[in-house]
Amino acid sequence: MRTAILISILLAAMLLGGCAGQHDPRTGGFFGGVAGLGGGGYKDRVAEREARLAELRATQSELDAEKGQLETQKSAAQAQLDKDQARVKAMQTEIAALDKKTKSLAAKDGADKQRVADLQKRVTDLKGKMNKQASSLDDLEGSGLGDADMDLRRKQLEAQRDALRKEYDLLMKMQMELAQ
Amino acid sequence: MRRALVAAVFLAVLMAAQCLHAAPLDAIRDILRRHLLNPPDEAALAALSDEDLPGKLRDIDPYARIFPAGEYRAPVAGGNSWVGIGAGLALRGEAPVLHVYRGGGADRAGVPDRVRLLQIDGQPVVGLDPEAIALRLKGQEGSTVRLGVALPGGGEESFTVRREVFSPLDVELIPPGTQRVVRIREFAGGLTRPALRATLDFMSGQDSAAKATRVIIDLRDAPGGDLYEAFDLAGLFLPPGTHLGTIRGRDGYAMEIHAPHGDKYSMPLTLLVGPETASAAEIFAGILRQHERVLLVGQTTYGKCASQTDARLSDGSVLRYTNKEVLFPGGDTCTGTGLTPDLAVGDDELDMLPRLVERAQSFSP
Repeated sequence: MRTAILISILLAAMLLGGCAGQHDPRTGGFFGGVAGLGGGGYKDRVAEREARLAELRATQSELDAEKGQLETQKSAAQAQLDKDQARVKAMQTEIAALDKKTKSLAAKDGADKQRVADLQKRVTDLKGKMNKQASSLDDLEGSGLGDADMDLRRKQLEAQRDALRKEYDLLMKMQMELAQ
Repeated sequence: MRRALVAAVFLAVLMAAQCLHAAPLDAIRDILRRHLLNPPDEAALAALSDEDLPGKLRDIDPYARIFPAGEYRAPVAGGNSWVGIGAGLALRGEAPVLHVYRGGGADRAGVPDRVRLLQIDGQPVVGLDPEAIALRLKGQEGSTVRLGVALPGGGEESFTVRREVFSPLDVELIPPGTQRVVRIREFAGGLTRPALRATLDFMSGQDSAAKATRVIIDLRDAPGGDLYEAFDLAGLFLPPGTHLGTIRGRDGYAMEIHAPHGDKYSMPLTLLVGPETASAAEIFAGILRQHERVLLVGQTTYGKCASQTDARLSDGSVLRYTNKEVLFPGGDTCTGTGLTPDLAVGDDELDMLPRLVERAQSFSP
């Protein structure tokens, strides 16, 4: 009988203790757990965890998207680089042909001789600049420059290549005039 | 008989050696006689000999140089990559100064630009010639070097710098981009103009307001380069047909240069200049100043509006000599006088870019 009374008192104390204090089940202990069950703390916790999980999932998908974007950018940059390298290589071949033609030009008189000499010098210069373009493109990745500077370098190389193309067209015209 | 043969062979070798030396000297005299901007004195030409040839050449032409075979390096061509600390070495008086390139090892280690170099790996550099200093700065890719420097604002600091492959930008954009400061170190024929265009366009993007905002071009470390590139660059900022200057050569040769057609930039410009701003860089600055298109901030420039050309000699050596001079539209030249800045600053300020930019931005004459 005495034992039954003691158990009843203990149970009542436990239940009353569970009503008091924090309702966050993480605060631990049996009483806290009882209080959590009674006061809806577990529901809050589950909701909070779900919210955190959703947040993590959103971050993860953002990171995945960013990674995908970076990979796309990287492969686009690589494709652009391959394209630029192919262009430069084609121009190198064209300039080598122009160089060969220019060297075989026979000067008719004094004035022509000077023009031929000037043309040969300019073609040699252009050849050197194109070779430098090629090596600059090859070195672009390992240039030690940061991303923004590397973008700038790429733009500079592009503008320089366009200028060299104009110079090539002009020299080609001069060569044809002298060859006639 | 054997003795006579040995003597004959010795004499032949000696004569051949003399002939080898004589040929370049005669060629040098001939080139200078025919092409030097100001006709040289015959007695000075006759005095040329192997003994102190560089000194004797300088007596005839202050910018003349002879490069022994194999030691010649073609004039600036921009953008070459090299293994090193990513900085150039210059001498200011007796003091070695580091010109730090963007993105190089020194830049990434935090070494400020234009600092005085005091020590390399704990050893003082005082008293060493530039070649010896350069040799100590050089090393294998991946190796490190400890640099002790005097900071521009006072005090000393040391930095560990890794030597690595580095490819400099032909035109550097100095951060932050909102300040719109770009740096040109060399005027490479056919390359600097497109690089500057690309940089100005990159800086402004699609922002039309930015395109009208002042740009500061840092020419403090620009010792020159290609003369025609200087004209081409100046032409970017002046209306088509504007008289840029006259190239004067030997025997009355004169060629007037005018700004070409094409896209132009109309934003206000400030150029940062100093005693190391020379030749093509001075010509570029001088043309724009003549047309009241720029403000010059810094210190008086070097004073050399003349251009040199290189001639290869029969023994493989190369002679560099002055063959042209540039006259600004008014007929003036900067040779001997340099360009005086609109806003003059002291030595300390000249070395501290942020302060110099601040002064330049707040300056209105």
